[in-house]
Parts: sequence; C-alpha cells; structure tokens
Amino acid sequence: MDYSFSEDQNMIRETVSKFLENECPKEKIRELMIDEKGYDPAMWQKMAELGWMGLVIPEEYDGTGMGYLDLMILIEEMGRSILPAPYFSTVALCSIPIIEFGTEEQKKRILPRIASGEDIWTLALTESFGTYEAAEIELSASLEKDEYVLNGTKLYVPYAHVADNLLVVARTGRGDAPEDGITVFIVAANNPGVKTAIMPTAAHDMRCEVVFDNVRIPEGNVLGKRDEGWAVVEHIIQYAAVLKAAEISGGAQAALEISTQYAKERVQFDKPIGTFQAIQHRLVDMLAEVEGLKYLVYEAAWKIDIGSPSRMFISMAKAKANKVYQRVCLDSISIHGAIGFTEEMDITLYHLRIKALEFELGGTDFHRERIARELESYQPDFLILRN
Amino acid sequence: MDFQFGEKEEKLRSEIREFVKRELPPGYSGGTLEEEHSDEDWEFAMAISKKLAQKGWLTMSWPKEYGGMGASHFEQLVFAEEVGYWGIPGTTMGISGVAWVGPSLMMFGTEEQRKKYMPPIAKGEPDGIWCTGYSEPDAGSDFANIRTRADRQGDEYVINGQKVWTSCAHRARWCWLAVKTDPDAKKKHHGISIVIVDMKSKGITVRPILNYVGFHIFNEVFFDDVRIPAENLVGEENKGWYQLMHSLMYERGSVAIGAYGANKRIMDEIVAYAKETGLIKKPEIRQRLADVAVEIEALKLLAYETIWKMTKGVIPIYEPSRDKAFNDMLLEKLSIVGMEILGAHSQLHPMEKDSRWSALKARVQRMYWMFPGISIAAGTTDTQRNIVGQFGLQLPRSY
Repeated sequence: MDYSFSEDQNMIRETVSKFLENECPKEKIRELMIDEKGYDPAMWQKMAELGWMGLVIPEEYDGTGMGYLDLMILIEEMGRSILPAPYFSTVALCSIPIIEFGTEEQKKRILPRIASGEDIWTLALTESFGTYEAAEIELSASLEKDEYVLNGTKLYVPYAHVADNLLVVARTGRGDAPEDGITVFIVAANNPGVKTAIMPTAAHDMRCEVVFDNVRIPEGNVLGKRDEGWAVVEHIIQYAAVLKAAEISGGAQAALEISTQYAKERVQFDKPIGTFQAIQHRLVDMLAEVEGLKYLVYEAAWKIDIGSPSRMFISMAKAKANKVYQRVCLDSISIHGAIGFTEEMDITLYHLRIKALEFELGGTDFHRERIARELESYQPDFLILRN
Repeated sequence: MDFQFGEKEEKLRSEIREFVKRELPPGYSGGTLEEEHSDEDWEFAMAISKKLAQKGWLTMSWPKEYGGMGASHFEQLVFAEEVGYWGIPGTTMGISGVAWVGPSLMMFGTEEQRKKYMPPIAKGEPDGIWCTGYSEPDAGSDFANIRTRADRQGDEYVINGQKVWTSCAHRARWCWLAVKTDPDAKKKHHGISIVIVDMKSKGITVRPILNYVGFHIFNEVFFDDVRIPAENLVGEENKGWYQLMHSLMYERGSVAIGAYGANKRIMDEIVAYAKETGLIKKPEIRQRLADVAVEIEALKLLAYETIWKMTKGVIPIYEPSRDKAFNDMLLEKLSIVGMEILGAHSQLHPMEKDSRWSALKARVQRMYWMFPGISIAAGTTDTQRNIVGQFGLQLPRSY
C-alpha cells in the first residue's frame, strides 16, 4: 500500500504544472475561447517537443513508452489549468486505442506523426442523443467494391475542425445485441464529404458536428475487426473515462483552492468570510469530496497501469467526478458571491466546462448503471465465507 | 502508487476470517456499542475478547511487553476492517480500554499503572473493561468546559460532579475520567487532569439512559465525594487536555477503517437482498445502490490514506476528522437507501433480529436508528468540520 508517486512521476507533474502556468494563464484561455482554432499551435508544438503527445506511445513508434499513470498525472494537471487543446482527443481518445488495436502498418504510419505533434486526431462517436450506448450508433458504413461509404452525423466531436484524422464509430451490420455490427474507421478529415461545424457550447470548447455525406474510404481503414468495433469503443470508454475523471479531478482541486483562498481574503463583518461556519463547512465538505475523488481516480488508474482494469473502479471514478465537479463549482460560485457570477473571475471558467466534462465518456447515470452491473455479478465476502 | 496489501496483511486477513468462521454463529450480526445492551450479548462479547487476546489481536498495536504484538499500522488496519465487516464483538474493552487507556498509559502513565491496568485489558478480562468520562451536561463539543472536580486532600483526590453519555459505564470496572483540578486556571483547558477511578468506589451512581429504540449503551454517572488514591492521577496534574489531544491523534485513525468494514457489510447484504427479491432490476434501485457504492469506496480510500500517512511517520491532524465527517454523511445515505430497499419492512423494530418478518437480521434498521448517535459520538460531524477547516484548509478558527 503506497499512496505516493515515484520521483519521476512527481517530476512529470512539476514540469507540466510549470509549463502550463507559464504558457497557459487564464488570459490565454479567454483568448482561445474566441479564437477560430481554439488552441495555440505554437504551444502545441512545444508540448510535442516535451514528449507529451508520445508519452504512452512505445519507443519503436517514436514515443517515450511511459505508463498510464504517468499520462494520468499529466492530464490531471491539464484539468487543473484548463488547457484548451486537442490533446485529450488526440492522445486519450485516439492514440491509446490505436496502440491497442492498430495493425503494425497502422501503428508505424500513424503513431510517429502523433508523437511529433504533426497530426491531430479526434473520435467521432456520439450521435443525436449524445450518449455512449451502442444502440445509438446509426451512422452507416456500407461496402461498395473496395471502399466503405459512410453516411450520418456525429455530435460533440472535440476539435474536429482542426483534426487531421478521425476515428469514426459506424454501423456495418446488425446482430442480436446493439453492440454487434459496429466498426471503427480511420477517416482523413480532408476527405470530401466530411463537413464540420462548431457547436455553440457554453464553454466555447470546440465541440463539433461532423456530417459524413457519402464519405468514401479504402476498405483497409478499419481499426480492429469489422463488426466487432464495440470492443474498441469499450476500451476507449474504460481507458479514456479514467483520464477524463483525472482531468475533472484536477479542475475540482483547482476550484477548491481558488475558493479557499478567496474565503481567506474576502472580508465582511470585519472578518475573512472563511471564519464563518456557513462558508467554512462548505469548503470542508468540498475538501473531503475532492480528496475522495482524487483517490478514486488514482485507484482506477493504478488498476489500469498494472494491467488489470476494473470496470467497477473506472465507473466509480467517472460517476464521482461528474458529481463532485458540479458540486464544487456551484459552491465555489456561491462562496464568491456576486463576483463569482462574472466573466472576470477564474472560477467561472471551471464551471463553464462542467457539462462537456460530465457527458464526455459517460454521464453519471450511465456509469452508475455500469457499477450496478458489477454489483450484480460480484460475490460478497460474507457469502464466500458461508459456503 | 500501489493499492494492494502485502502478504503479511493478507495472511492476517485470512486468519481473522478463519476465526470468524470458527467462533461466530453463521450470519452473526453484532457490532460495537450494541453488545453493551443485553447481558447475554455482553457475555458472548467477553468470551470473544478472551479468544482475541489469546490470538494476540485484542491489543495488537501494543508492544509485546504489555501484551500486544507490536502490529504494524497496516495490520491494525486489516484487523479494524475485518472487525467492522464481520461485526466481531468484544474488541474494544469498553471502547476506551484498547484504544486510549493503554496507549495513554504508555505515553504518560507510571510503570506501576502500566503493570496494574494494562494486563487485564490485553488478556480480555472483565477487570480490563473501561468507560470514559469526558462529556458533561455543559461540556459536549466544548469539552474544556467540564465542571467535575477532583480536590486533593492528603493522599487522595475527592471527586464531585456528573458525567453524561458515558458508554459502557454499566459494564466497566474502571473509569478514565477527565476532571477539573484547577478551577481557577486562566484558560479553562489548563486546569484539566486525567484520573483513574474504580467503578466500585463508594459514591458512584450509574443511571442508564436508553436511546430512542431502547438500547442501553450510555449512562449518566454521578460522583458524590468519591475518594481515589492520589497515585491514580495519569501524567501531570493540569496537563490532561494536552495528554488527551495527543492520545486522540493516535487512536482516531482506525475509526473510519472499522466504519468502512461495517458499511461494506451492510452494502453487501443490501445488494444480496435486492438480488434475491428482484428489486435490483429496478432502474432507480440500481442507480441508488451504485451511488452509495461509490461513496463507500471513497471512504475506504480516504481512511487508507490516513493510515498510510501514519506509516510514513506523519501524525494526521485533520484527516481523521475528515474521514469521520465523510463517514457520518455516508452512514445517513447508506442507511436511508437500505431502508428504502426494505420498503414497508423498514418499520420493524431494530432489535428484532429473528422475527419472522424481519430481513437481514434487522441490520439495516439498526444502522438507521444508530447512525444519528454515531455521528455525534467522539465529536459531532460539525465539530469535525471545524477541525478540518482550521487544520486542513488553514481557515481561521470558527468557534
């Protein structure tokens, strides 16, 4: 039992945190919210030079071959400073499944270009209901000679407007279960027929509608196996949900720190407002929630890192993250008073991102249902001992 | 980062489970505090205490010379967790015996006191049962406000006053008593001392207080010219407050661990019941069970973190309070979810473990009716929040 990170891991955290503090102050985030690209290509290049894009890519594909926990630390820090960039979509949503399911040829072709920062990737998965249920996948892919033809619409695709390539989850058939007949395709973003529009989100965080209108791609552009693509999606949901929870956890930690600091500085009735139990107890409850979340994320990530992902812990981390982040943001704004409701305060930048963070890779109910399934199949100790 | 226990801890865990299988009736449903209620339960708890002592587990954290096994923090964690899960009775020697009487005597007591009082605790004997007299009618969360006095007269102290909410006073051989020895001290926490009182002394009256479902766990204790030898002072006169704070830091780490074990058991039982009855197929039940399962896992991780810090030589200041406050909220949530799953059967009396209508040996009902008391005991939830605010977030003292 050891709650500490290795020295190398602490170094990663420190490097990332310093870099983002210098390169991505809150003014920068505000600028990027009204920027067409929504990220800073110069900063992106620096991040690539630091090895961030290739962090978990094996060395043979020009990455640094580090572990899942290392990546989790990096993303936790990104959440803490709200980095606006196509990092999560490229690394968490695409590079990890490509490492896992890609053919040797695909990995050689794709991964070095991700590691170098040349290519931006994103995942086109959710459709009209915006959920992660297989039954919702309607975008069709039909084989015509040696090409697949894709038709349909994806929503909330992060940074699709600047992506070079997309992983597209499509329906190639129907079976007994909605998960049957799903295939994941690799699609170049410049393919004629791929049309991208930025969706007007509260956070201005570059979620896109992507319309596929007779998009023709070579037969070989499949990630994993035809009709068995849900295995890829399930892998993405598991591995990326914990990283998303880490991002949320980082943001929640920051929000708590900002509000605690404010409660120490803001004076009313001749005292810092943090003296009053109405404020103090709220902050204390936030602290317990934020620390509980932090360790739920670490535990789930650690299980993945040692090669035995736990569906239970993964969904616990994401379900808790969704709830805690909203609670902490709402309480933070309330503690700030009227100024917490304005554009100029940093705390609002955190709150604006809640819904994107919450619904990406599964909302609270979605993950609770997954937890319930695990509870159902779990054999409790008291029954084991009785038998 | 590593969330697994070592072989040593896992071996201990399986030995404890062997013990449970051998010594407790199948499906045994007990629990700390409850064992103090009936003579029959108390007798059983005392028999288990003896057996735990023979295993060396009863006072496992104590050094060997005082009847312990010098167990590591992680071994203590595993024991506390299993005690919570299986509801093993007889583990506390009147709550205070194991947790703070022994450790405080090791820190502040004389050699004579250690030799006299510690072996009966470590051996699980009736003479090792303690109660603790801290709270008074006007000294609850504001503990330093105690009024019970101990006046030095020659070789004796004469004690006068009243304690309240004294758990186990009706079972205890000794009382670990906080008294005012200097009523004129400038600051009220400066004049406090800890003394040991024989509960058989003349002038002591124990009056039961029943809780609202009829359990007899705590009492009022009246001291009317009770004389004790001066050698029964623990540590220094008027330094009781500091001694107490010091010992609290050591003993509170394991409270949330035991609570986690107990919560996990209730959760497992509720899930098994929901499966048996088919209720688990209802989406709203699934959602609620999943929600509370997350909170239980979070409690585990917080409580483990506190112990892990202790293994690193850190004395946790705010963490035990954080863990208790978190558990208090969880107890409420878990028992409400449990009662909702029982539905109309939740109205059955919590003591009716074996009635033909009751489910799960009325475990859920007992948790529901007990949690308000547990939340208050050993520092109310809001008092814990004050501590976390002050020492965890470095906010100004709020009280």
